[in-house]
Amino acid sequence: MRRYFFNRHEWFLVGVLVVLSAVITCINPSFLSFENITDLLKSFTVLGIFSLGMFMVIVSGGFDISFTAIAQAAQYAVVALLMFRWASIGDIWVAIFLAVLFGLVLGCVNGAIIHFFKIPPIMVTIATQNLYYGIMYVITKGDLIHDIPLYYREFSYARVIEFHRVDGAPYGLTLVTAIWIVLGIAAALFLKYTRLGRSIFALGGNRISAERIGFNICLTTIFVYGAMGAIAGLAAIVDVSIAGSVIPNSIVGKELQIIAAVILGGTAITGGKGSIQGTFLGVFLFAVLSNSLTLLKIPSYYYKVFTGLVILLAVAGNALQIKRQEGKKVRVQVDEIRAGGA
Amino acid sequence: MFTRIKEFFDGTTLSLFVTMVLVFLYMYLLNGGKYVDSYNIRSMAYQLPIIGFLAVGMMFTMLTGGINLAIVSNANLNGLIICLTLSWLTNSDSLVRNNMKNATVAQVVIAIAVGVAISVAIGVFHGFMVAWLRIPALLVTLGTMTFIIGVNEAATRGYTISGFPAYITSIGTENLWGIPIPMILFVLSCIVAWLLLYRTRFGFSLYMMGANETAAKFSGVNIMKISILQYVVSSLFASLTSLVMIGQLNSIKANYYESYVLVAVLACFLGGVDPNGGFGRLASVIVATFILQFISSGLNLQRLDPYMVTAMWGGIVIILIFGRALIAYFRSQLKRKTLEGGLL
Repeated sequence: MRRYFFNRHEWFLVGVLVVLSAVITCINPSFLSFENITDLLKSFTVLGIFSLGMFMVIVSGGFDISFTAIAQAAQYAVVALLMFRWASIGDIWVAIFLAVLFGLVLGCVNGAIIHFFKIPPIMVTIATQNLYYGIMYVITKGDLIHDIPLYYREFSYARVIEFHRVDGAPYGLTLVTAIWIVLGIAAALFLKYTRLGRSIFALGGNRISAERIGFNICLTTIFVYGAMGAIAGLAAIVDVSIAGSVIPNSIVGKELQIIAAVILGGTAITGGKGSIQGTFLGVFLFAVLSNSLTLLKIPSYYYKVFTGLVILLAVAGNALQIKRQEGKKVRVQVDEIRAGGA
Repeated sequence: MFTRIKEFFDGTTLSLFVTMVLVFLYMYLLNGGKYVDSYNIRSMAYQLPIIGFLAVGMMFTMLTGGINLAIVSNANLNGLIICLTLSWLTNSDSLVRNNMKNATVAQVVIAIAVGVAISVAIGVFHGFMVAWLRIPALLVTLGTMTFIIGVNEAATRGYTISGFPAYITSIGTENLWGIPIPMILFVLSCIVAWLLLYRTRFGFSLYMMGANETAAKFSGVNIMKISILQYVVSSLFASLTSLVMIGQLNSIKANYYESYVLVAVLACFLGGVDPNGGFGRLASVIVATFILQFISSGLNLQRLDPYMVTAMWGGIVIILIFGRALIAYFRSQLKRKTLEGGLL
C-alpha cells in the first residue's frame, strides 16, 4: 500500500500538509471549510497548470525558463486579437484554442533549437525568454488591456460543483480548477501508459540508453517543449480570466516559483524521477503555506522568506535521505565483498 | 609571444571579438557620432561594471557546472546590510528616516566589512550545500535566492531606502584621473580573477573539477574546499556589484537589477562557458559583457524601448548558437575532405 499511490517522499509531503493544516485549523477554524479550500485551489490553478508542463520538461532531463514569456505573449496576442480583430468569433474556447496553438508553436521552436543544436536547455530558454518577452513588450509597448470581454470572467466563475452560502453567495469547485485536475490525471495516465509518455521518463533517466533502445529522441524532445508551450497557453487564458485584465508583466518572473513547486514535489532536477501526484502535492504545499500565512495575519513581506526556507529544507532533507541510502548501499557492497572473500 | 596571442584568440574568443567589433560598428553607423562621444563612452564605462561583475562572478560557479542564481539578491542583501549597519551606527530612528548621510569613514568601512562578511557566509553556505549534500547548485541557489529576496522585502517593507553617505556614492559616480571608479574596480577585479583562475592551484582545480569531478577527487583535489572557495568568490563579486550599485543609485530596494541574474548567465554562455563545466575563458566572458553593453547603449541612444534591448540580447545568443553550429559543421566537412584527400 505504501508504494501504491505515493512514494516515500510524497508520504512525507502528505504528512507535512496534514500537520500544517491541523495547526492552522486549530488557530483559525475557517481554514478547513470547503469554501476556503476551493478558493485556495482556484487561486493556485494557474501555478498548478504550469507545474504540469514543467514536470514533464524536468522529468525529460530538460529545463525551461521561457514558458512564462510564452504564456505572457500568448495571453496578450490572443486577447488583443479576439477583442480588436476577430470580435465576432470571440469565445472562451476559441481563445483557449488559439493560445494553446500559439504556445505550441513557440514551445516547438524551443524544443527544435535544443535538440538540433545540442545546447543546454537552460541557455536556450533564457535566450528565448528574453527574445519572446522583449518582442512582445516592444510590440505592445507595455499597455494594459482592461475591459476584456465578459466571457473570460464567466469562465473563471463557472463552477462544476456549486453550493450557496446562507446569504446566497455561491461557492464551490470552479471549472478552471477542475480543468487543472483533469489535465493532471490525463498527464499521469499519458506518462504511464503510452509509448511517448514512457520515452519522456527514459530520456530523462539515461539519454544514451533511451536512444539505443529505439525511442525517438527528436520527437520526444520537441513534444516535451511543445507540450510545455501549449500548457503555458492554456494557463495564460486561465490567468487572464481570473485576473480580469491583461498586465504584460504579471506572469514573467514567476518561473522559478513554479520550478520550485515541481522540485518540492520530489522531481529529480537531473530527470527521470518524479510523479504527477508529487507535483500536485508540491503545489498544494505552496498553496497551504501562503494561505496559512494570510490566515495567521503574517504580513505578506514574509511570504518569500518562508518559501525560500521550505525549498531549502525540502531539498536538503531529500539530499540527506539520498546520502544515507547511498551510505547503506556502500556498506552492503562492502559486506558482500567480505562475505565473498571469506 | 606569438603562441600567447594565438592562445588568446582561440576560436571562441576570436569569433566573439569579431562580433564585438561588428556590433560596435553597427551601433556606430546607427547612432553616428553620438555613439563615440565622451558622454556616451563615459556612461558605458559606468554601466558596464555591473554586468561585468555579475558575469565574472557567475563564471566562477559555472566552470564546475554550477550556477549562482542568488548572485543579484546577494548583492541587494549586501546593500541592505550596509544600510542597516550604517543606520544603526548613526542612531537613526528607522530605515526610511535615517541619518546615514552623516556617517564617518570608519563607520562606512565597518558597514562594508559587515556586508562582505555576510556575503562570504552566503558563499560558504552555497559551497557547503553543493559539496557536502551534493544538491544541484541550481536548487540550492534557487532556495537561497527566494529566501534572500524575502529577507530583503521583509526588512525594507518594499520601500526604496536612500540617503547614503558621500563616501559610498562616490564609489559609483566619481572618477580618478578621468577614469570612472567602477571601471577601475572592474579592471582590478578582472586582474585578480585572471590570477585566481590561471595562476593558482584553485583555478586549475576549478577547471579540473568541471571537466571530471571524480578524476579531480582522485588526483587529490579537495572538492569541499574548492566548492566553498568558488561560491565565496562569486559572493564577493556580488559585494562589489552591490557597492557600485548603491553608489550609483544612492538607494537600496528588495530587488534591484533582478533580471540581471539571467543576463549574467547569458553573458557567460555568450562567452563560451560550458554550462556543464570545464570550459570557458575569462577573456571571452569579458568580451561578451562588452557586446551586451554596446547593444544596450546603442539602442538606448535610439530611444528605443528598453525591452528591445532584452529582445536583442536573446536574439544575439540565438544567432550565435546558429553561427557556432554552422562553423562546427563546415569544420567537420573540411576535416572529412582533408581526411579523404589524404586517404586517396
